[in-house]
Amino acid sequence: MRLFDGQRAWVIQRISALLLLVLIMLATLALPFAVPLDFSAWRAFAGGALGGPLIALLFGALCAHAWVGMRDIVLDYVQPRGLRFFVLSLIAVVLLGVLVRVLLSLAAVALAA
Amino acid sequence: MKLSIYRFEPESGNPPRMQAYEVRPEAGDKKLLDLLMRLRVQDDSLSFRRSCREGVCGSDAMNINGRNGLACLTALDGLKEPVVLRPLPGFPVIRDLIVDMTQFFAHYHSIKPWLINGEPLPERERLQSPAERERLDGLYECILCACCSAFCPSYWWNPDKFIGPSGLLQAYRFIADSRDTATAERLDFLDDVYRLYRCRTIMNCTEVCPKGLSPSHAIERIRLALLRRSS
Amino acid sequence: MDRHSRRLPMFLNLAQIRFPVGAIASIAHRVSGVLLFITLPVIALLLDASLRSEDVFASLRKLLSSPLYVVAATVLVWALVHHVLAGVRHLLMDVGVGSELARARASARVVLLAAPLLALLFLVWGLS
Repeated sequence: MRLFDGQRAWVIQRISALLLLVLIMLATLALPFAVPLDFSAWRAFAGGALGGPLIALLFGALCAHAWVGMRDIVLDYVQPRGLRFFVLSLIAVVLLGVLVRVLLSLAAVALAA
Repeated sequence: MKLSIYRFEPESGNPPRMQAYEVRPEAGDKKLLDLLMRLRVQDDSLSFRRSCREGVCGSDAMNINGRNGLACLTALDGLKEPVVLRPLPGFPVIRDLIVDMTQFFAHYHSIKPWLINGEPLPERERLQSPAERERLDGLYECILCACCSAFCPSYWWNPDKFIGPSGLLQAYRFIADSRDTATAERLDFLDDVYRLYRCRTIMNCTEVCPKGLSPSHAIERIRLALLRRSS
Repeated sequence: MDRHSRRLPMFLNLAQIRFPVGAIASIAHRVSGVLLFITLPVIALLLDASLRSEDVFASLRKLLSSPLYVVAATVLVWALVHHVLAGVRHLLMDVGVGSELARARASARVVLLAAPLLALLFLVWGLS
């Protein structure tokens, strides 16, 4: 819990937010060119030198941002110590799971290419 | 005018209840406090704090129709009836509209609300330029009425750990003071998930401050000062 | 002190407190954030599935264009748009842009209106 303390958590929240904002705007701008998306193009993008790192960055920022935000909510509304530890652990496991799942998928596609 | 007022009598052993009142304002009654004083003649068991009756002492803070304010500064004109009066939200109720402010003042003390200056005392007073003095405007006027902290959800959820808008405004008042040399220590103290960073800038504090101050602005400045220091 | 040994009551009935618009925008920011957090594992699994094979990709696409999913996605569009707009509002206020009360109120109103409007637009576009 002390891993993201005070100002550091606040800064991580802001930096990840800015990053996500840029990525979302890029995605929105790219959307008209990508539709209709077919499987091979999507796979080539996700396994490529540009798409892979971008998707990884997106999920990395999402998870960091979600961690700070969800922890803030827990610190406000979940007061009993035991329950708080349990909920925070659950959130951490979900976010780590998401990150690992995405990185493994991307790695599999990149290796197959 | 019709009123509905939160009553709690600790000796009775009964839970708090709402009591209906009706009182006719007389000529010259302008503020809610004037009406409350008339009510006390009707029912001398009704308890609330008041002292200066002009928005300086900060003792008659209460929840008026769902928003915190000072009874002495709240105009009767335009008040929706029945006027619902409750004690400050999130504060332990001692009796009727009187709340226990112990924790609130403990937070105020925790920010060391006095000038700290280790330099040798000058022969005369420590001088400030008009510009330096101006930086205290909007900060020094706080009367510690607790309207802001008692309207802040972050303070409701963590009243023992979050300093709250009032204490943080006061903290910035000393950080901003050119005569204070303890800025680094003050910022060290505030850099904490609970003390400062429970604030989510919803600005409820600024919405209800009866003195028109902006604790959220002070908090914004503290965060930026911390950011500047660490970069 | 005897005062602290007694259990004192407290008034904190949120339904009886009149919340300013900034507080409403903020609680919606939280609700939308939690919604997005819950969706995150689903998105990760969808991403994984979509990269597996041509068939899975095609069936996912069909699934996501069915009316039920469009309605579910509308809720998520609201959540995303609200969260992003409210977030931009906060980032600007952090550096003192629009952190003055009147402007903060106005921007909170804009965010609260824009998100459902865009979500509605998405719904109409998705179902047509």
